[in-house]
Amino acid sequence: MRYPDIDKYAWLDSPIHRLEPRIKILSFTVLIFSAVFVGNIPAALLALAVALLILILSRLPVRFVLQRSTPILVFVLPILLLMPLTVPGTPIWSAGPVAFTEEGLSYAVLITIRAVAAIVLVLTLLGTQRIEATLRALSLLRVPGVIVQMLFFTYRYIYVMMDEFLSIWSAMRAKGYTLRPNRYGLSIIGNLVGMLLVKSYERAERVYRGMVARGYCGKPITVAPFSITAADCFACLLLIGIAGGLQVYPLVAL
Amino acid sequence: MHISDGVLPMPVIVAGWVITIILLAGTLRWAAKNGDIAREIPKLSVMAGAFFVASLIHIDIPPSSAHLILNGLVGVVLGPLSYLALFIGLTLQALLFQHGGITVIGINTVNVGIPALICYLAFLAGSKRGIPLPAIGGVCGGLGVLLTVVLLVLVLVVSGDQFFAVAGLLAGAHLPIAVAEAIVTGAVVGYLVRVKPELLPIPLKGEKK
Repeated sequence: MRYPDIDKYAWLDSPIHRLEPRIKILSFTVLIFSAVFVGNIPAALLALAVALLILILSRLPVRFVLQRSTPILVFVLPILLLMPLTVPGTPIWSAGPVAFTEEGLSYAVLITIRAVAAIVLVLTLLGTQRIEATLRALSLLRVPGVIVQMLFFTYRYIYVMMDEFLSIWSAMRAKGYTLRPNRYGLSIIGNLVGMLLVKSYERAERVYRGMVARGYCGKPITVAPFSITAADCFACLLLIGIAGGLQVYPLVAL
Repeated sequence: MHISDGVLPMPVIVAGWVITIILLAGTLRWAAKNGDIAREIPKLSVMAGAFFVASLIHIDIPPSSAHLILNGLVGVVLGPLSYLALFIGLTLQALLFQHGGITVIGINTVNVGIPALICYLAFLAGSKRGIPLPAIGGVCGGLGVLLTVVLLVLVLVVSGDQFFAVAGLLAGAHLPIAVAEAIVTGAVVGYLVRVKPELLPIPLKGEKK
């Protein structure tokens, strides 16, 4: 279990790092939604090219991006493997009952390109600013206070709970426990989760009392020294323009 | 188990967000009626953090290796607010670990949140009938995953016929996890009954019903 250090390269300096967080979130979100909804392969490739260009501009290490994008394989690999074989259509290649169809292949490739473009954009968005800046910007963007506060608290307590988990886990390991997928092993995991919950519940009580003592009344107080410059506005218009272009391009090209 | 960006078509994604926003607004209104929401935020967040960490536990069940989902347990412990907690958990999973995409947080929350709410109701119904609590806990744990798989398959099939085989594969891969999760949740509920029964939505001994 590793700490979720998504923002470990937030200290780098690049045009993307310097964008104002609110502007960055808004324009990247529009771009991501646009990249996810492109309808054909050329437009998807264009989206991917834009995403890669932004990634290069941001100077994030390639290794970071590769490591971070592995979770999409869970969905993309089965789609790439199964779709060409199961979607009916014109066969490109066939052996006995197994046929490799053009329709399935092109749909699978389209999904893969869209998924890769989206994850590259998401990583550039999140990797180039501190997660605190992201959450503050969300609060300034009028995301409901309850949601922003919970995101802040939960983010903070994930680290605490990870430490709690690791201390229980190392105690268990020291007593000779190894995780096996049988009934006994799993019920011990159940006790571990139960212990974590009891600890977190008791901690929650203390945290709440401590916060009330300091005057907490449920309202978020955010001080965010963000200021939007002309360059930010220009970048925002450019990115949203690209996002619009991705949607218009297939209509014009045909 | 959490859908990535770029897989689903627009209507499904929009529908996911609409359902999630309606359910979030509904459960928040319910919570505001039944108590101070400011009181709930810190507690709910610490618990959500604990569930988040617990769901990172890897269990290798050949041929698949999976994370626990624990949505049944979240539903049992947090009640109607479990939808909010799962929404926060999934958002952070998308932001911090890229498990599941940003654009599909809505539909992913529907997939795990609605089963959590159903598990809460099932737990209440079961505990009123006097069935042993660890047994109901186990059923809820398994039910949570199974309902999530059903919703996942439904979402993929609605998205297009092309997803048929993929949906089948994912459903098959989740069945062992449902069993593992039933055992784990049963054990957790058994542990909580002994150690900290006030975490469960059951009348305590000596308390008026």
